Amino acid sequence: MAETFVIVGAGLAGGGAAATLREEGFDGRVVLIGAEPRPPYERPPLSKEYLRGEAPFERALFQPPGFYGENDIETRFGVRVTRVDAAEKEIELDNEENVPYDALLAATGARNRRIPIPGLDLDGIYDLRTVADCDRIRAEISPGHKAVVVGMGFIGSEVAASLRQSGVDVAVVDQNTVPLRRVLGEEVGRVVEGIHRDHGTELIFEDRVAAFEGTGRVEQVTTQGGHRIECDFVVVGLGVEPVTEPLAGTGVQIDNGVLVDEYCRTNVEGIYAAGDMANHYHPVFRRHIRVEHWQNALKQGPAAGRNMLGKNEPYEEIPWFWSDQYEHNIQYAGFHTEWDELVVRGSTEARNFVAFYRKDGLMLAAVAINRGRDLRRSIPLIKNQEEISAAKLSDPDVDLRTLTRGASLR
Amino acid sequence: MRAFDVHGTEIAVANVGGAFHAFADTCTHRGCSLAGGDLEETTVICACHGSEFDVTSGEVLQGPAREPIATYETRVEGGGTLEVAG
Repeated sequence: MAETFVIVGAGLAGGGAAATLREEGFDGRVVLIGAEPRPPYERPPLSKEYLRGEAPFERALFQPPGFYGENDIETRFGVRVTRVDAAEKEIELDNEENVPYDALLAATGARNRRIPIPGLDLDGIYDLRTVADCDRIRAEISPGHKAVVVGMGFIGSEVAASLRQSGVDVAVVDQNTVPLRRVLGEEVGRVVEGIHRDHGTELIFEDRVAAFEGTGRVEQVTTQGGHRIECDFVVVGLGVEPVTEPLAGTGVQIDNGVLVDEYCRTNVEGIYAAGDMANHYHPVFRRHIRVEHWQNALKQGPAAGRNMLGKNEPYEEIPWFWSDQYEHNIQYAGFHTEWDELVVRGSTEARNFVAFYRKDGLMLAAVAINRGRDLRRSIPLIKNQEEISAAKLSDPDVDLRTLTRGASLR
Repeated sequence: MRAFDVHGTEIAVANVGGAFHAFADTCTHRGCSLAGGDLEETTVICACHGSEFDVTSGEVLQGPAREPIATYETRVEGGGTLEVAG
């Protein structure tokens, strides 16, 4: 009897895995299940061009709507998995359907973290994950309206920029000293702060929201530091958490997402995971890392699909993402949580630089502002874990491609 | 790679092993200059978001770009002039 491969989660990782199974010639049954009532799409435009009304949703679709039927991929969109029975190898859906599986890929992604703040349930307070969330925020955009953005991570920073670009007055509240501090640190965050300041955003750092206040609908935000900000609406961006509940009771190991090895396999035979919810053992960094970005979903989903087919290919892409804010292009590659040295090539003042995060002389990651070519040329250095002198890295006359052994930029 | 303004259109020219390839310099994703990226054999990599195009056909090899870039025929004239035919 033909095998059945079930993919739980119809984001970019799940959609990519389904497409890959067919590209690789799998001729069994493929079932793609997603909680959102639409086919897989890319989320980066939701905080940028789609939020600003510059691009239609169709441009964000991973594949044309007809793709799944044409490729004999069964879809269940707007359907949730209520239980995975790993012993019987069967899943239960909330449409009362049961689907048996031979292999299962969990790609359920992440959900926005909800921090309990008084007044969070008032109307006019939004967060951003799905296109439906984005449409609700778009409906509030009107020149002269005032928004408060809570949290200046990547989503908050991009939303703040897009709202300003749409003529909305913006105040931001963040508990750190500068935007993006948790990932990029003080020095680089300071540059991003300057960008937002230049665009007339009211910046409130080292402070937290005390309460959202209003009658039925949010009218003002008060902070612990004593600020009182009148507003028309609020966007909260305080991070995400992996969605792992469907795998409860399967015996799959969960620790900051679903633990998988370099082949995207969980500890339970026949169950794989990829994308935002997978805490994946990365052969280059020699540790588990969980990545919540577009490229990881785009590439790890297909990698998991190939491994479901027994290809035994370790997934070892270097994580990479971009963040466009106003006219500035920010890119990051690698993975770091701590560093003991930051080497800068270019000028932070001119907002044209790449900065390398190093620990014990090893390059773990790089971030660039308006210097994307050097960022891309840094990826092989990270992948090969080269030990390179800080003098060479910081010298703009040294072509970064010459510092590593013949690695492709692709 | 270098980009040239040809009657109001930015056209990039890449030299791949002595053969000249001309193509639209403007990335179809968000409009960055492709000549500001890198070239590996016949693949141009956009510096802004990593989209990759085949400079011989214009085809997208790697997103986020969806639409191909225009490509143009080239001819080297006497006196070292490169002619690009639209």
